[in-house]
Amino acid sequence: MSLLSILIFMPLIAGLIILILPSSFQQKFKYVTLLITILQLLISGFIYFQFDPSVAGVHLESQFQLVEKLAWIRLDLGSGGKLEIDYFLGIDGLSMPFLFLTSLVMAVAVLASWEIKTNLKAFFALFLLLDAAIMGVFCALDFFLFYIFYELMLLPLYFLIGMWGGVRREYAAIKFFLYTLFGSVFMLLVIIGLYFSVINPATGNHTFNMITMMDPANFVQGSIFSIAANQELFGVPARLLAFIVLFIAFAIKVPIVPLHTWLPDAHVEAPTPVSIILAGILLKIGGYGILRICFSMFPDAASQSSWWLGLIGVISIIYGALNALAQTDLKRLIAYSSVSHMGFVLLGIASGTVEGTSGAMLQMISHGILSAMLFYLVGMLYERVHDRDIYSFRGLATLMPAFTVFIMIAFFASLGLPGFSAFIAEAFTLIGAFSSESVNGWLPRWMAIGGSIGILLSAAYFLWTLQRMFFGQTRLKGGTDWALQLSDVNLREKFALVPLAIMALILGILPSIAFDKMNTSVIEFVRFITLKQ
Amino acid sequence: MKDYLPHIPGFINDTINSLHYFRPELALTCGFLLVIIADLFFKKIYSLPFYITLLCFFAVGFYTIQQLHTAPANLFSGMIIIDHLGALFKLIFLLAGLLFIFFLKNNRQFIAHNKGTGDIFSILLAVILGMNLMAMTSNLLMLYISIEMVSIGSYLMVGYISKDTRQTEGAMKYIIFGSVCSAIMLYGLSLMYGFTGTLDLNNPQFIQELSRIPSLASGTVIIMVLTGIGFKLSVVPFHFWSPDVYEGAPTPVSAFLSTGPKAAGFAILVKFISAFQLNTDPEIKDMLSILNHVLIIAAIASMIAGNFGAIRQNNAKRMLAYSSIGHTGFLLMAVIAFSETGFKALIFYLFIYVIMNMAAFMLINEAEEITGSESVEDYKGLGKHYPVLMICFVVVLVSLTGLPPTAGFTAKFLVFSSAVEIYQSSGSFWILLLMITGAITTLVSLFYYFKIPLNAFIRSSNKLIQVKKYSQLMPICIVLSVALLLLLLLPQIITSFI
Repeated sequence: MSLLSILIFMPLIAGLIILILPSSFQQKFKYVTLLITILQLLISGFIYFQFDPSVAGVHLESQFQLVEKLAWIRLDLGSGGKLEIDYFLGIDGLSMPFLFLTSLVMAVAVLASWEIKTNLKAFFALFLLLDAAIMGVFCALDFFLFYIFYELMLLPLYFLIGMWGGVRREYAAIKFFLYTLFGSVFMLLVIIGLYFSVINPATGNHTFNMITMMDPANFVQGSIFSIAANQELFGVPARLLAFIVLFIAFAIKVPIVPLHTWLPDAHVEAPTPVSIILAGILLKIGGYGILRICFSMFPDAASQSSWWLGLIGVISIIYGALNALAQTDLKRLIAYSSVSHMGFVLLGIASGTVEGTSGAMLQMISHGILSAMLFYLVGMLYERVHDRDIYSFRGLATLMPAFTVFIMIAFFASLGLPGFSAFIAEAFTLIGAFSSESVNGWLPRWMAIGGSIGILLSAAYFLWTLQRMFFGQTRLKGGTDWALQLSDVNLREKFALVPLAIMALILGILPSIAFDKMNTSVIEFVRFITLKQ
Repeated sequence: MKDYLPHIPGFINDTINSLHYFRPELALTCGFLLVIIADLFFKKIYSLPFYITLLCFFAVGFYTIQQLHTAPANLFSGMIIIDHLGALFKLIFLLAGLLFIFFLKNNRQFIAHNKGTGDIFSILLAVILGMNLMAMTSNLLMLYISIEMVSIGSYLMVGYISKDTRQTEGAMKYIIFGSVCSAIMLYGLSLMYGFTGTLDLNNPQFIQELSRIPSLASGTVIIMVLTGIGFKLSVVPFHFWSPDVYEGAPTPVSAFLSTGPKAAGFAILVKFISAFQLNTDPEIKDMLSILNHVLIIAAIASMIAGNFGAIRQNNAKRMLAYSSIGHTGFLLMAVIAFSETGFKALIFYLFIYVIMNMAAFMLINEAEEITGSESVEDYKGLGKHYPVLMICFVVVLVSLTGLPPTAGFTAKFLVFSSAVEIYQSSGSFWILLLMITGAITTLVSLFYYFKIPLNAFIRSSNKLIQVKKYSQLMPICIVLSVALLLLLLLPQIITSFI
């Protein structure tokens, strides 16, 4: 059993134990969950240090690390060949950083769960199930297994939003579920189509191995998704259509404009720990899926549609930022800023350059850390006075100095102040988008300019919010009652916030600690997708 | 008379040799008689019919499993054929029957009924005998007799309690609709005999003669026969009876009707289509394509009507009735594919379907005992007071939707695989449409299935909920839910038979 299996199954088993334990222990459940996430953090930290940055992975099965491969389902389908489904885990530079990010954000989310007071048993059991599913998504290299983990995330999230959410939680939970399922049902059809198109050269069977699916030589001649066959569905080349279907499935997660409308609702209604997980990790699964699946399996279709992807990225950046400017609910504002920041990820990936892709990877990590911090801070405010309308607060800086320091760090880091992670990430993405025209001609230069307007807008809404809420004379909607309730950051909260702030700072000053580990993979990824086929 | 004499020893020999293969059915017949005797003479021993039936099922199971690996055989001068697929179907019926008797034993309506439960066990055994014959038939007459045998038994089951007008109405509707459908089918069968001069489905003459008559006539005849089968499957447009009947019938009977006879309908559909599909004669191509298109349109219509119809339902049993129409449409995909993959997918799906649908009805029954209502609205707040019940319910509903981490996903996945495979070889636009409908209706089904957890967990009730003890059915529900989870990890438990 490799470390990856432990990462996946440890929370699952802990979740089962919590289910079995009697409810009289319920005050202890949060400590159990915290212990599990800290263990996960240690393991993923260990994996980070042990990770060999010199091998690439991406489309080379032999170069994946911590590989675990067991035969799982072998069903003889007669005419359809033998069903070959493996329990196949492994990581490379594109997935390893997310393991660490997941562990970190999960640990913070547990600390934020202290505010949850009802039905603790169900909450922590679902929380741990979600944790296991997310780890599984980042580790799985078998498409069937990937899909199972991918769908497994939906159930706990539905209940976490639905049972502990705000007033409109019913609506938000089912909306989130339906949106994601809409993408993934069609993804299932593409997965099956890929299965029948690909042959594992070693065994001669059809296979769900994602890495085998990346090599055009493994496609059966004349099959739906074979490059040479050039089949069409509804008058669209089959490979392009499959790419679009997969892209939409992941883009809903990212989310891109116009498929983003579930996100503000889900964020606003979700309890703080779930918002943290949603913004911190789940959005990254969309980006990861686009890298690992859409681009790696259909590089030809990716190069054809990169212009559109870039455009969607730019639109998301600007539209998200403009929406954020117009919000009066602080949590909604941050939700829209997420849409804007995740647009950079798409822009970077669509550039098809090493700079752009590295920038996109770093942007995902950086946004994971910063959005977790932002949502936690909003949650703290809401927990104290049950209000988060921007105009209900004024001059909080004098009332809550430590809180203001943290929110300033988070705001300035998010708007791309040099010295913080988001600056490096956004700069690299824009460099990638800018140089793309001369390197491979995928994106025109004006898209980079469009992206930089987004940075400007993000400075506007963050600074304006800072000014409206924190500066000036203290005036609160709730009067003196609120002033008493608005206590400053306590020790537990500091314990969660400080590591995030430090991570954002370190990644801004020494981005090489992230780049070094993923560089080989990114270079190989870019070489692979821009290869003329 | 004298002319027949030399043949008689041959017939007798054939019949005696066939009996060897007929053991499961003989066991069912013996069980049927024993239950009647027990009910007549030993009425005081209340659960005797239950144990006789249980014992009988063990014997049937034992003999049927043996048949899994015997070579195909023609019995009773070609009336029935024993093969691997037939034996698998018989195991599915048996599973449905087994779960049904446990369900019966713990259902309050049946226990309290003054007629006693003895008769329903004998009816059940007769129905299962009929279903077994449906799965083995290779003769048009046998096809009709077996379907009628199941139908008549089902009519009795639906009207067994008839405690109020709603139940009587359901039973009457079922009988009238069923009789009309079977009359149409009988007419179709007689025309077929008239056109072809043979009753044997596997006789090459059957298809050849049928292909020689104008396609309008042959098409009409085929559709008439499909009407009778479609009634059993409750496929659109022969589905109107099912919501009313499922709602009106006692819950265990609804559960059985939605699983056993439906699976039998698939068995006979496969038998009927095999006659066309396995014929290599190029002349029948037109007929085959008509047949396929009829099935595809019926499948698409069923998926849409079933799933969209279910959205508006508030009665849990009615909702499951509509959802089972949708499942039929989805399963037709595997039949249309008509490949080895398709049959494996069909059998696997039916196994899982029996488990999950039975479990769903059992859970509705449990919830009804608690809230006294079948309305989904009344499930509000149940999750808090009856967590085990509702967690099982969520597992079963997730499985019915076809999402991981349940075996319902594997089943759905296999059916989609068979469709994609056939698409790859045929490139037919209709198959593609079928798959897309399947995907979209999956999404729709999530919407209504999740009304139940929505009410149970997310909404809270202002009514006071009394905490009662679970009935003895609950352990069975738990086992079935765990089985659904386990079968995702280890589908080999079922697939090794297939």
